[in-house]
Amino acid sequence: MPLVQTEYLTKVYGKGETAVIALDHVNLTVNPGEFVAVMGPSGCGKSTLLHLIGGLDRPTEGRVLLEGRDLSRLDDTQLTELRRRHIGFVFQFYNLIPVLDAVENAALPLILDGVKPGAARARATDWLKKMGLGDRLANRPDQLSGGQQQRVAIARALVADPALLLADEPTGNLDTRAGDEIAGLLRKIADEWGRTVLMVTHDPRIAAYADRIVFLKDGKVVDETRLSGSSTEEAKRVMAKMEAI
Amino acid sequence: MSVRNALLGLLAQRPRHGYDLRATFQAIMGGEENWDVKPAQIYTTLARLEKDGLVQEEAVDQSSGPEKRIYAITPAGRAELRSWLTSGVERYEQRDEFFLKLMLSLATGEADPGKVIRTQRAALYRELHAITTQRQQADPKKELARILLLDKAVMHLEADLRWLDMIEARLDEVKRQPLPEPVTKPRGRPKKKRD
Repeated sequence: MPLVQTEYLTKVYGKGETAVIALDHVNLTVNPGEFVAVMGPSGCGKSTLLHLIGGLDRPTEGRVLLEGRDLSRLDDTQLTELRRRHIGFVFQFYNLIPVLDAVENAALPLILDGVKPGAARARATDWLKKMGLGDRLANRPDQLSGGQQQRVAIARALVADPALLLADEPTGNLDTRAGDEIAGLLRKIADEWGRTVLMVTHDPRIAAYADRIVFLKDGKVVDETRLSGSSTEEAKRVMAKMEAI
Repeated sequence: MSVRNALLGLLAQRPRHGYDLRATFQAIMGGEENWDVKPAQIYTTLARLEKDGLVQEEAVDQSSGPEKRIYAITPAGRAELRSWLTSGVERYEQRDEFFLKLMLSLATGEADPGKVIRTQRAALYRELHAITTQRQQADPKKELARILLLDKAVMHLEADLRWLDMIEARLDEVKRQPLPEPVTKPRGRPKKKRD
């Protein structure tokens, strides 16, 4: 079963003559453990796609299935719970809380979910160490570099053990070197910790870390490129496509 | 030119034989797959360097297997090496096979130019992915030279990908313009003017 599946996913902002079609009948499938990059010019709908998959917004038409569950059938409370337990989010500007230190920031989703502080801190510390921040646990965001802040944000996104990590321009605010480190970590999150990663980026260098790139333009998928995987897998995929036609 | 100067450089380090020169050159340049120099080229280059007085045969090593001639750099060779090292390199590469495909797809209609661009983009991204993977596996404490070379490849691929995006964005405009035509020059003897 695919981890994420979108069916004719469509989002229209506004009504009548001023309506803008941000996403136009997008069918996308992401398999468990896959690292997929979504690329396209600004305004192509890539962030809208991520928001709809993450349950941050509701589609005008079509639906999102997450591990087979139809998001459109969930009410707001269920959707909030799903976001907290099944999906991790990483944003361009880290969105950390300035007065909290690294452990407190990373533990936040668990605390909000009612996990006891001791257990929450232990799990946050574990993920921060995996992110290479073992010596920065007590630092507040203003005592960390951009790349380090983003790593705290990734630890926070993974602390509740979600199957899916959604990253919206995660390297957009970082220099090349820190950007490479973050992209390398996302690669590792898929390879070593089996999480599924869906990342929006406009940077070719960063997209090249993924297993597959989906190109969006004017709200539609215009192209798709598999970057890794064996040639037999590739052949199987092509065969499946051909059979579908 | 580069191989010739590289041999001078390696001989400035210490005397070497041809096999050693070839192996060391290729190791510096990131392996055989990056820059394959045939043994024949090494030996003809050495012969020319010797003729020009830039290297000289120093000894013959007969310790193991077939005999190997060992070469050393001369003072003139060292002077030439220094002048090469301290001059800039012109890099101007406009021979681009993809560009040729694009122009001919536009001219002949035998392939969709948009598809030609997308195919090229996919190929470049796969290459970028492969290099990124190698780059991540390289150890920065031991393999910095290799990493710098991989970084160069990454940056060039990035530039090529941006260029493809630019072409794609302007494809409709390009389609509306005629392909470049040769400038016709009159051939042979100019015609006699009639009075």
